[in-house]
Amino acid sequence: MHAPERLDGLRIVATPEALEHAYYEGDVVVLRIAHDEVFAIGAVAAEVPDEHAILERETAFVGWGLTSAEFDRLIARHVEWQLPAHRPSLAQGLAAGMPVKLWFDHDRVLLVVSSGLAHEAAARFGLPEFRHETGTRA
Amino acid sequence: MRFAFDDQPVDYVDGDSVAVAVLRSGAHPQHGGSLCLTGDCGSCSADVDGVPFIRTCLTPARPGLRVRRHPAVGGPPLQLDPPKNPVQSPVHAGVEVHRRHVDVAVIGAGRSGTAEAERLRSAGCEVFVLDSGNGHDVVGVYPGPLVVVRTPQHMLHVHAHEVVIATGAAEVHPVCEGNMLRGILLSGAADLLRERGVDLGNTVTVDITELASFEGLDGTVSHVVFSDGRREACDTAIVTSPTKAPRDLLARMVSDPNVRVVGPAAERFELPPPPVAGFVCPCSKITVGDLQMVWDKGFQHLELVKRAALCGTGTCQGGVCMPHLRSFVSDRQGSEAAPFTGRPASRQLTIAEAAADVFLDPFRRSALHNEHLKLGAQMDRFGGWWRPWNYGDFMREYWAVREGVSLGDVSTLGKMIVTGPDVVEALERLYPTTIADIRPGRSRYVLLLNERGHLIDDGMVCRESDDRFVLTFTSGGAAFAEAWVRDWVDTWGLDVRIMDRTISHGAINVTGPLAGALLQRVGVADPPKFLQHRHAAVAGIDCHIMRLSFTGEASFELHHPVAPSVELWQALMEAGRDMTVMPHGLQALFALRLEKGHVIVGIDTELDSTPRRLNMDWAVKMDKPDFVGRTALARTADLADHRRLFGFTMDGPAPTEGAPIYVGDRIVGHVASTFTSPVIGKAVMLGWQKHSPWVDSVTIDGRTATVAHTPFFDPEGARARA
Repeated sequence: MHAPERLDGLRIVATPEALEHAYYEGDVVVLRIAHDEVFAIGAVAAEVPDEHAILERETAFVGWGLTSAEFDRLIARHVEWQLPAHRPSLAQGLAAGMPVKLWFDHDRVLLVVSSGLAHEAAARFGLPEFRHETGTRA
Repeated sequence: MRFAFDDQPVDYVDGDSVAVAVLRSGAHPQHGGSLCLTGDCGSCSADVDGVPFIRTCLTPARPGLRVRRHPAVGGPPLQLDPPKNPVQSPVHAGVEVHRRHVDVAVIGAGRSGTAEAERLRSAGCEVFVLDSGNGHDVVGVYPGPLVVVRTPQHMLHVHAHEVVIATGAAEVHPVCEGNMLRGILLSGAADLLRERGVDLGNTVTVDITELASFEGLDGTVSHVVFSDGRREACDTAIVTSPTKAPRDLLARMVSDPNVRVVGPAAERFELPPPPVAGFVCPCSKITVGDLQMVWDKGFQHLELVKRAALCGTGTCQGGVCMPHLRSFVSDRQGSEAAPFTGRPASRQLTIAEAAADVFLDPFRRSALHNEHLKLGAQMDRFGGWWRPWNYGDFMREYWAVREGVSLGDVSTLGKMIVTGPDVVEALERLYPTTIADIRPGRSRYVLLLNERGHLIDDGMVCRESDDRFVLTFTSGGAAFAEAWVRDWVDTWGLDVRIMDRTISHGAINVTGPLAGALLQRVGVADPPKFLQHRHAAVAGIDCHIMRLSFTGEASFELHHPVAPSVELWQALMEAGRDMTVMPHGLQALFALRLEKGHVIVGIDTELDSTPRRLNMDWAVKMDKPDFVGRTALARTADLADHRRLFGFTMDGPAPTEGAPIYVGDRIVGHVASTFTSPVIGKAVMLGWQKHSPWVDSVTIDGRTATVAHTPFFDPEGARARA
């Protein structure tokens, strides 16, 4: 299993229409976390056609990259809600009593947790710990 | 094949339940009482392999089982094995939860359930049939709908678009003199035992409507007495009933349009005659006399009788007593009493089963958590976060703030960026303070009120440009405040962008007379003036510096992306080493702010604290056309108000927070915050007087305390502005 990583990217709030037409620089995974908000992992800059858009660097999330088998073994059994069937897709909600985001890529799953709860995620799911100082495995 | 029953070997035949094997041996799974052997009553429940309240009629016999009867009087002893450290052990070992998502869950595999399942399948639905005979013990039905099931291996949560309850109907147990004797069977139980080859001896069958009483010898039934006076000797009494009672406990648990009941479980039935003697509730050993006693005391409603007598709260949750209890109440109130509300769990659960995959609310750690631990912090939970309470000597921390410089981790504060063409209008409506006249680069302390004019949070409004603001909220109130702001902006239909930054930004408060000097050492040549704010690099890290003061000293909050939080903290600690910079925890912070008379929402305030009650009318501009809470404040402005938060001082040590405040012998309020202030030389307090006329001299902790103006310390605020 890969060590957890701090996810560096851009958090953007804008009109839903503007987000549909946003352009990102870099190798980016765009998580649409609300109708008016995205977390663009890996983005260093973006063009958003909304003069009032808020673009902020976001470093407060930690990601664990999991194989589908690891996800099934460690995470899925703590998820009360129905997981999305299609790929790629984002799901958000409580798992093991804590808020998580799940990015389902074709054959992998990225578990995204706020860094403030990374210690709980490690304990509750049996994952490698995250350290704020280094952003790597303890 | 054998298992142990009360430490004695019991033989069983393949296919026997524990109850059948025990009855074959001539014993009773409990100490007496009529048996249904269908899981409806609790009269066969026993301790199985250390787990009490197991219905033995539904437990297959197997070698090595250890079955013990519950005590004849009282419940089985609790078997507690507490975890060594529950706070640090959030993961429950033992019982897993499995989950299934289906179109329809049908509860009950009897005639009506099977027919309904076939009909739904033929209509193309994915149907999951649950039945205790298949190892699926339905514990409860919840809104969703969600069906919680216990299986021999794990708990099962079934999420269905629709739930069909097809649990059928059950025979009615007899309630009369002698109904707790051994040897009384419902007709279905008698049929089962005969099928299993159990010798019932001389039997007498009696219809429940013709039953007067049972007579016994040494705890076992010996005669059936009929209502016409006949008296027949027997080894086993078999009770039949003309109608069956619906098994509707699960149906009574939930009101959900996607839950429906079919078959006999949904049918009306004729209540039995009102009981006149005997045990109505065998589980809790409640007699007809007990019911009459609570009725005579005024508990004259089914739900009240249930709660007062505990009838229906035992193992079977009304399976036995419900018809008789309803009949008892119906007879006395003159109309038919509806069944009482059903509540999960319908089956007894172990703590591990009930707690399966249930977790404590998570508490966040700031990015500086490990730095605090390295510095010897005592961490505690406040407002959803782990925070340093102190670092071993809170008075040293206090003096570091008052005399030198200190760092506080305020990463937990609520933080929000708001922009948009309507942002000023939105903030003017949200806050009772004027917003439009805040110039870019300036900030203002604000209250957040609800529609009733009660304080729900406070914080700062920092204006960055004409249409961009940064808002802060309290740590504990941040989540609610975010929802509050979003809800109002949506309600008003204003064009505003909102980004919550609470978890995204760390914040370090550099405070004390030397705070400005420390900032200069880390690259801030010209720190902002009081209530100013600006963006600047601090030790090479981009920060939003907010100059304010909660401690009463010059204070600079350094808001920054959370990733370099540790780096910034260490740079500040290193740069201030020769200034003896040290961190301070909440204990020191609470003392420092109390000397300044600053309230903490939720500690000094109550749910109905208005600005007037808090002496904070200065933060409310009633000449504004509108803001949330304005109508209520205007309406109540001229009404007499008996509650007021006061500052108090008194000689000697500070009393306990929460101490009552007396005027004479009368308690007029309580102390909200206290501190023995070294700079004032007295105990300083914030406390409530809740009865007018308010007085200047009260008694707290047996001593005289005097009302004092706040701030207690540095009333001109010269130190904060220095």
